[in-house]
Amino acid sequence: MTTCTAPHKIVLAGGGLAAQRCAETLRREGYHGAIQMVCAEPHAPYDRPPLSKGLLDGSRAGGTLAFRPPAWYADHDVELLLGVAAAALRTRERILVLADGRELRYHRLLIATGSRPRELRLLGHRRNVSVLRTVDDGLALRDALEEAESVCVIGAGFIGQEVAATARRRGCAVTMVEAAAQPLAGILGSHIGAWFAGMHRAEGVDVLTGRTVQAVRGNGSVTGLDLSDGCRLDVDHVLVGVGVAADVGWLAGSGLTRDAGVPVDWCGRTAAPHVFAAGDVAATMDPETGRWQSGSHWEAAARQGARAARTMLGIDPGPPVPAGFWSDQYGIRIQYVGRAAPGDAVAIDGDPEARDFSATFSRGGRAVAVLLVNRPRSLPAARALIEKGTT
Amino acid sequence: MTLTVMIDEAACAAHGDCVDVAPSVFALGDIAEVVGTGPDDLLLAAAEACPSAAIVLLDTDSHEQLYP
Repeated sequence: MTTCTAPHKIVLAGGGLAAQRCAETLRREGYHGAIQMVCAEPHAPYDRPPLSKGLLDGSRAGGTLAFRPPAWYADHDVELLLGVAAAALRTRERILVLADGRELRYHRLLIATGSRPRELRLLGHRRNVSVLRTVDDGLALRDALEEAESVCVIGAGFIGQEVAATARRRGCAVTMVEAAAQPLAGILGSHIGAWFAGMHRAEGVDVLTGRTVQAVRGNGSVTGLDLSDGCRLDVDHVLVGVGVAADVGWLAGSGLTRDAGVPVDWCGRTAAPHVFAAGDVAATMDPETGRWQSGSHWEAAARQGARAARTMLGIDPGPPVPAGFWSDQYGIRIQYVGRAAPGDAVAIDGDPEARDFSATFSRGGRAVAVLLVNRPRSLPAARALIEKGTT
Repeated sequence: MTLTVMIDEAACAAHGDCVDVAPSVFALGDIAEVVGTGPDDLLLAAAEACPSAAIVLLDTDSHEQLYP
């Protein structure tokens, strides 16, 4: 194939993990052309997992989260455009339009704009209501936790749970409100969800499940929340952790989005020629449900960014690796590999009471996911089990 | 006892936690690389910090796998 010339200008729309890994892989694979990285935040790419843990408990400073020192970008000839968001895409002309009106022409484009936290309209933008996505969100929340005696976490996903755990360790009184009957029930089922609720209760968190916020007291700042069961909470600070939505608003009209993400194939290619997507914004087909799923995790974003880079350069990215994620709470390491769904059979090995167990999820006799609680040594075997079960 | 440290290349996702724990032993390229040595307790701390359980520790003499 000779009609397609080698790319000599690659634009990365986004400045998170997926874009960073894409840039690193492009250089490592010998690409010498231009790379422009468009970062909506005023910071060079940094690592987000510590935002809900180390940054929040004070063990990590905000300046230590950068993936690479500033000199790395000059040394590798990666042009950072900081504090400017991607605003529109014109695929026919191969032009990315930025929020300040600049137009960047590309030979290859990576869409890696990530996701935004969902907000609760009821709470609006009050002074003591936080979401957690950026380092600036994290620093603001850390300062708020210094002052706050009582914290309400709305949503018992992993972000909500990690913030609850860190706030608890900092001595705050913590209430966690979850609309579902158990935390994470939609992913891990109610049995495992109940275990997570129990862990937080044992650490002193007031876990209120099957309830939503009905009314908010206070004007400039929230002073209290009234729940759907009539329960009234007084709070100093509120964290909203009710999930994320892919940041695809800027792609309206591009024809590239579907089910609130950008569908990609196993190499990260989108429906438009020369346009790729990776990370939270990319939606992959779940063969079990036949639906596009976005909202990936750290490891998936890292691998997808590198895979897209190789595909851009015409290099076989190799077979995909089963996705996994991890969470650290109260000194407990929680690891998960595969993808479970409600209704899967769950087999427990070990002692959940002692916070030392594995849960294997299976469907039709095949293992589809494994959750490990304080069993890091079992991860390689769990990964092998899922790989075997899904191929 | 001395430990030999290796990276499970298929498992490593370049989280970088090993570099944070033991910068004299690990460096981050496409994935983590072993670039030095350190005391056994430091190697074990790095292995335990890896979210992907991609650091393999062997007994140098017997080649018995001690982690993960």
